[in-house]
Amino acid sequence: MGRVITYIDAITEALDQEMARDERVFLIGEDIGLYGGVFKATKGLQKKYGEYRVIDSPISENLIVGAGIGSALVGMRPVPEIQFADFVSPAMDQIVQQAAKIRYRTGGAWSVPLVVRICCGGDVGGGLYHSQMNEAWFVHCPGLKVVMPSNPHDAKGLLLAAIRDPDPVLYFEHKRLYRSVKGEVPEGDYTVPIGPAEVKKTGKDITIVAYALMLVWGMEAAEKLEKEGISCEVIDLKTLLPIDKKTILESVKKTGKALLLQEAPKTAGVMAEISAIITEEVFDYLDAPVMRLAGLDVPPIPFAPPYEKFYLPTVDRIMKKARQLKAY
Amino acid sequence: MKVAYEKPPSETPSEFGLSPKEKKELYYLLLKCRMFDERFRKLFRAGRFAGTYFSAVGQEATTVVPSYKLLPQDFIGPAHRELGCNIVRSPLKVIAAQIYARANSPDKGLSHPCHYGYKPANIITPASTVAGQSVLAVGVALAYKIRKEPYVALAFVGEGGTAMGPWYEAVNFAAVHKLPVVFIVQNNLWGESVPARLVGAFEDFSHRADGVGMPGVSIDGNDVLKVWETTAPAVARARRGEGPTLIEMKTYRWYGHSEIDPADYRPKEEVEYWKKRDPIPAYEKYLMGNKKLTLEEKKQIEEKIDKEIDEAVEFAEAADYGPVEWVLGDVYADFKADAPDRP
Amino acid sequence: MKVAYEKPKVEKTIKSDLELTNEEKKELYALVLKSRMFDERFRKLFRAGRFAGTYFSGVGQEATAVVPCYKLLPQDFVGPSHRELGCSIARMPLRQIAAQIYARSHSPDKGKSHPCSYGYKPSNIITPAFTIGAQAVLATGVALAFKIRKEPYVALSFVGEGATAHGPWYEAVNFSAVHKLPNVFVVQNNLWGESVHARLVAAFEDFSHRAEGVGMFGVSIDGNDVLKVWETVASAIARARHGEGPTLIEMKTYRWYGHSEIDPADYRQPEEVEFWKKKDPIARYEKYLLDNRLLSPEEKKRIEAKLEAEIEEAVEYAEGGEYAPAEWALEDVYADFKVEAPDR
Repeated sequence: MGRVITYIDAITEALDQEMARDERVFLIGEDIGLYGGVFKATKGLQKKYGEYRVIDSPISENLIVGAGIGSALVGMRPVPEIQFADFVSPAMDQIVQQAAKIRYRTGGAWSVPLVVRICCGGDVGGGLYHSQMNEAWFVHCPGLKVVMPSNPHDAKGLLLAAIRDPDPVLYFEHKRLYRSVKGEVPEGDYTVPIGPAEVKKTGKDITIVAYALMLVWGMEAAEKLEKEGISCEVIDLKTLLPIDKKTILESVKKTGKALLLQEAPKTAGVMAEISAIITEEVFDYLDAPVMRLAGLDVPPIPFAPPYEKFYLPTVDRIMKKARQLKAY
Repeated sequence: MKVAYEKPPSETPSEFGLSPKEKKELYYLLLKCRMFDERFRKLFRAGRFAGTYFSAVGQEATTVVPSYKLLPQDFIGPAHRELGCNIVRSPLKVIAAQIYARANSPDKGLSHPCHYGYKPANIITPASTVAGQSVLAVGVALAYKIRKEPYVALAFVGEGGTAMGPWYEAVNFAAVHKLPVVFIVQNNLWGESVPARLVGAFEDFSHRADGVGMPGVSIDGNDVLKVWETTAPAVARARRGEGPTLIEMKTYRWYGHSEIDPADYRPKEEVEYWKKRDPIPAYEKYLMGNKKLTLEEKKQIEEKIDKEIDEAVEFAEAADYGPVEWVLGDVYADFKADAPDRP
Repeated sequence: MKVAYEKPKVEKTIKSDLELTNEEKKELYALVLKSRMFDERFRKLFRAGRFAGTYFSGVGQEATAVVPCYKLLPQDFVGPSHRELGCSIARMPLRQIAAQIYARSHSPDKGKSHPCSYGYKPSNIITPAFTIGAQAVLATGVALAFKIRKEPYVALSFVGEGATAHGPWYEAVNFSAVHKLPNVFVVQNNLWGESVHARLVAAFEDFSHRAEGVGMFGVSIDGNDVLKVWETVASAIARARHGEGPTLIEMKTYRWYGHSEIDPADYRQPEEVEFWKKKDPIARYEKYLLDNRLLSPEEKKRIEAKLEAEIEEAVEYAEGGEYAPAEWALEDVYADFKVEAPDR
């Protein structure tokens, strides 16, 4: 057994190693330097690399991303941080109008090798402004790549791949997983490719597709369901744009049933797209309607603890939905 | 059917001078803010409510004083540390209930403990997107101007929020149209962990006003009477239709950004320096020196406040969380959200 | 493998004299005139239906765009808006500008953006987005990179007075001021942001006040005075290059025609337009050169003839191209793969 570390430590290690290896890499964001990040993801890095490799920005999200883009135009590898996904909205202009379009609008002359780290997700009592999952906003923007790891191994490998990618990558990290998930992580350099999904568990009755916290809970549900005689194949999407259709479709062809898990509000989320892909491409193989279990269509996520539990697609709800799908 | 504006009432306060009675009332409010705050820090540490708590201890003058003697129709756009605005304008029970996030909270427990807002007090529940409420306040002031009403909107941010594009867009527009807004910039030197020197290329954030052609002034935000003497004329100016003012108030938060922040990014000497500049004892000394407050009265006030706080805590703790179905309401006026796959 | 910055390819000596030689003054004249003649020609071509989309004329504003870009280093960065033909005139081959407007396959952007989105990588001019003010943010990021790498380069950005009301622009100038970045922020105050008058954009007439709000050095000048623009910009650039921080320069100028060629601009008073046409930057500069015998009428004629020929050649080049194959629409989304084109 290799070395086991947490999800957040894997992120810190990836940043540290890449900054040591590549002097073009720098970080900019709120509270990331002196404080080491509100979740300590950048702890110790300013001391090690200096004030102009780890830049404490003012509360200027548009600038945080936009300055990153500008520096990328002249050869840097910026990794701006958006402290909470809820605060990405002021930076939308830069992400959508600049980062996603510069390669295209210049006919391929310029590129934006940028990674925006965005801390997202619920089940931490964060309330309306510290819990959102808004990844779907960006999945609707060709020109961006969007990734979201569910374990420490992928957290490090995907981050290194993202920094080395020639295009803008939004790297969502789920705050609920920061310290609750541990796993084996190689100490050295490796990448997890952007694009491919991964079958985390094989099964024959139902295909579960999920990412981040929903993947963790989906795996937990799948293991419990196994004991009830329901065999689930679980796919970790990992990259939300571009979508790895092949892995999903192959699995659904085999099981004939798909259960799609999503923490964000249900309407027009990432899983709506996956559902459409499945019905468009392997309709003949389906033995049941594609089913989604998602967050509620309310401004996410209400604060009071019982509300939050009500909102989230919990393990129990996943199991209930899977039984329903199995019985269809 | 033609729709007309509702008519405003006609009274407008005009005096800047405070009567001895008002000065004492202001003292009571400041002290209430401090005592409530310290109590809720303890309650948080004792695990009595969920989430976190954002203490404003040290910054009482910058929020309590500007909110004092406003008209009920005047609007307040606070951030998350503006307990003081609420102490002046909302019942204590309501504030306590907000923090406990139970069914009797003004927001029904939907938002966040320190997102104090209360419609009857005309204080909008804040978003965590800092400075967002300054933009709203400008919109409110625009409505007042369109309707020719003599009301004023107050917008509170920290010095950190003044780096935000949306805040700038708001102050610029208010200056162009001479809107009735008072922008209060509480410079407490730290935006969470980011020092003010990384936010503005100057020490006096009232310079921000120069960039949009608005009168701006920097004052000691821990001097209660100075805050009053500056804010009250700015409010009156706005009310007369003479336009907005930006007031930088230099102050300090004694504790961390929230109760889970040890604030070890700040030098100890700095914290000590500012604690010596505590706004409340200074004001108390002034009142006692001028024989406007006796020791006996002080004790009575403290006892009264203690009792009020006890009652408020009891009120908050007595309630249950709202039923989970409430999650589905308040999304739209005309329909509830669905709850598929929920019990 | 360890990755390091590419080494700067130019000599680090910085020209410090702000004086222009007589030859340079003449060259500058040829450039502003080229901008004017090219611009008027393309207005006609648009009206004749020779290219698609629309056209944003910069006539009247030549000094504010051409002059700041004159004598920059190749590594200096320019973040223009849609009316900064002049920046491109100073730094780009004329053919590339014409091709950009015609949006054919040999356009720098392969016809993907928009006719007047002039940009060209070899000239270090970024193709602009239409989110006004946004290039100032990029220029701030570029300047940050220069500062991190300790390189002696400068980033210029251009906006109109209208964009100075935009939050992102403010975030950029504020950050640049805090970190003393090598930026020059040019604000071309032409009194009208499309149809919105400057008085609805700011509570003052001099937009250099914007600089005070962020603690930056700011100055307002006559943007139709070629030599004044030169002196001001050159010293600001020298300051930035020496690590002394950014400058905001308001240049008062005027666009003679509509926001685009389909805008009759009837929101403006004819007297105002006439007033500003009398302050034509090129005629004024020409008079200065002629009066001081730095230019003769014969030379002027020769320059005009040469420019005519150049423009003719550029138009021919642009018109000689075809639109790119439609499949090109699928490229340049990502570096490593083409997007699909189902049902096409």
